[in-house]
Amino acid sequence: MIRIDNVAVSYGTPPRPVLEAIDLRIEEGEFVCVLGQTGCGKSTLLRLVLGCEQPQTGRILVDGREHRQPDRTRGYVPQKYSLFPDKTVLDNITFGPEVSEFSLFGRLTPSFYRRRREFREEAFEYLRRTGLRKEDARKYPDQLSGGMQQRVAIAQALMTRPRILLMDEAFSALDPGTRKDMQRLIRELWRATGTTILFVTHNTQEALRLGTRVIVLAKESPDQGSRVMLDLSVPEPCHESDLPHLVHRLESVSEGTRPEVGQAPRFAGPFRISPAC
Amino acid sequence: MSAGFLLIHAKPGRTWTTLLSWTLFALGIALYFYVSQARHRDNPEDRVMPTVTQMARGMFDAALKPAEDDEAQAPATTFTQRFLGSMLWKDTKATSRRFFYSMLLLIPAVLLGLHMGLFPYVGAFFLRFVLFFDKIVALSLLPILFIAFGIDELAKIMLIVIGVTPTIILDTFNLTRAVPAEQTVKAFTLGAGDFDVAYRVVLKQIAPRVLNSIRLNLKAVMLFLFAGEMIASTDGLAYRIALLRRHMGMDVIIPYVLWVAMLLFLVDFGMRLLNRQLHPWFRES
Ligand SMILES: Nc1ncnc2c1ncn2[C@@H]1O[C@H](COP(=O)(O)OP(=O)(O)O)[C@@H](O)[C@H]1O
Ligand SMILES: [Mg+2]
Repeated sequence: MIRIDNVAVSYGTPPRPVLEAIDLRIEEGEFVCVLGQTGCGKSTLLRLVLGCEQPQTGRILVDGREHRQPDRTRGYVPQKYSLFPDKTVLDNITFGPEVSEFSLFGRLTPSFYRRRREFREEAFEYLRRTGLRKEDARKYPDQLSGGMQQRVAIAQALMTRPRILLMDEAFSALDPGTRKDMQRLIRELWRATGTTILFVTHNTQEALRLGTRVIVLAKESPDQGSRVMLDLSVPEPCHESDLPHLVHRLESVSEGTRPEVGQAPRFAGPFRISPAC
Repeated sequence: MSAGFLLIHAKPGRTWTTLLSWTLFALGIALYFYVSQARHRDNPEDRVMPTVTQMARGMFDAALKPAEDDEAQAPATTFTQRFLGSMLWKDTKATSRRFFYSMLLLIPAVLLGLHMGLFPYVGAFFLRFVLFFDKIVALSLLPILFIAFGIDELAKIMLIVIGVTPTIILDTFNLTRAVPAEQTVKAFTLGAGDFDVAYRVVLKQIAPRVLNSIRLNLKAVMLFLFAGEMIASTDGLAYRIALLRRHMGMDVIIPYVLWVAMLLFLVDFGMRLLNRQLHPWFRES
C-alpha cells in the first residue's frame, strides 16, 4: 500500500543528510510506529508520505501512485495546531466532508444546508466514538484540554474516511494518564475501521503498546542520514512484562549504542526482528 | 504593604489607578485655563489661546450655523436640520467619504497579501516590488500625485493608498506566513482545494489580526488623508483647520482637533467591538 523505495533527503547548503536509503513496504491494515530520537527525521518521513515534500532520490508510492501534494487519501493528525482555531468543534469535524463536496460557492445552495445536517449527525457519532460529550460540540478548540483537542482532531481526520492515517507525535504533548486513554482509543478505532496507521513517536513504550510493527530510525554516525535500523513485528497483545526488556533493546538501537551488533536477535517466539542494515 | 510605592511589585488600588489615569488630563486642562486667562488679562484680544466661552461659541457656530454657500436656502428650523446644514457636518461628511473609500481599498490589499503569502508564484511576482514601494515616502510623492491625478479626490485617495496599502499588504503577508504549516496540510488532507485553504482556513484565521493591524494603521490613513486635504481640497476637516489657521481661528481649530480625535476613537472602538463580535474565538495575546 505504501512503498518507499531507496529514499534520501538532505537539507541546507552544504547538504546535510537527514534520511538515507530508506526502504519500506507497508501493507493495508498495518499499525506502524516510527520510532526515533528527536531530530532524526521522523516528521520528514511523514511529510514525504503526505506529499508535502519530494525526496531527492528514490520515490514514494501510495497505492501505486506518486503524490505531489497532500490529499484526502491520507489523513493527518499533528502534535500541535491540529484543529482550526476559528471553528467550533462541530465545524472542525464537518469541515472535511463540507469542503470535499461543496466548493466555496456551492455553500450558497440550499442542498448544502440539507447535506450539512447529515454531516452534523455523523459528526456527533464520531464525537461519541472518540469519547467526547455532545456539549463539547459548540466549544472552540482553545476551550478544550490538549487530550480533548486530539480526540477532536482524530474525529476530524476519520470523518473523511482516509485509508491511511498519519499521526505525528499526536500524543506527545499529553500527560501520561490522558496519553494512555488516547492510546487505547486509537487502538480501538484502528481495529474498528481497519485504517492503515503510520504513527510517529519518540516514546518507545508508546510505540510498542500501539503498533503491530515498530520501525526504528537512527543515524549510524552524525554526518550520515537516518536509516531504518530495526523493523520489528509486535505480536498482539504486547505483554506488559515484555515491555521493559524491549524498551531497553530498542532504545539502545535508537541511541546508536547497539550493543548487540553482530549478535543474533535474542528474542524468542513471536517477535520477528529484521535489522535492516 | 511590604512592596513599596513605585516598585514593580506595588499594587495600587482601583481608586488610585483611576485617579492617576485622569491626573494628566486634569493637569493639562487646568494649565490651559490658567495660561489662557493670564494671556487674556494681558491682552483681551488674544487669539492664540481662546477661552472656553470663545471655543464654545466657535463650535456652536460651526455646528449649528449654515455653511457659507448654503445661506441662500430656506432657513433650517429644527436642531437636526441645522446641524445637517452646518459647516462641521459638511466637513465631517467629506472627510468620512474619503476615509471610507480608502478603507474599501484596503480590502484588495489584504487579499493581495494573503495570496502572496500562500501562492509562491504570486509572492515571487509582488513581494520585492511591494517591499520597495513600502520604502517610498508617500508624502514625497504628493506633488507627483497632484500632477498625475489632478487635485481632485482621486489624488487624495491615491495618496492614502500609496501610503498605507504596502504596510497592510506586508502585514497580511507576514500573518499568512505565520499560520502553522500543519493547518494547511490538515486542510488538504481533509479534501480542501487551494481556495478553500486560502479563504476558509487561512483568511478566517488571520482576519482578527488583520483587523487589528488596520486599527493600528488608522493613524496613518488619517495622516495621509489630512495631508491631502490641507494641501488641495475645498472641504473636509483638515481643509477647515488649515483655512482657519490663516485667520488664527483657534476657537474653532481646537474643538475641531478634539472632534477629529473623538471620531477616530469611535471608529477604532467600533472596529474593536466588531472584531470581538465576529471572532469570538480570538484571544488577544
Ligand atoms: N525544511 C527544513 N529545512 C532545513 N532543515 C530541516 C527542515 N525540516 C527538517 N529539517 C532538519 O531535519 C532534521 C529532521 O527533522 P524532523 O524530521 O522534524 O525530525 P523529528 O520529527 O524526527 O524530530 C532536523 O535536524 C531538522 O533540523
Ligand atoms: Mg517531529
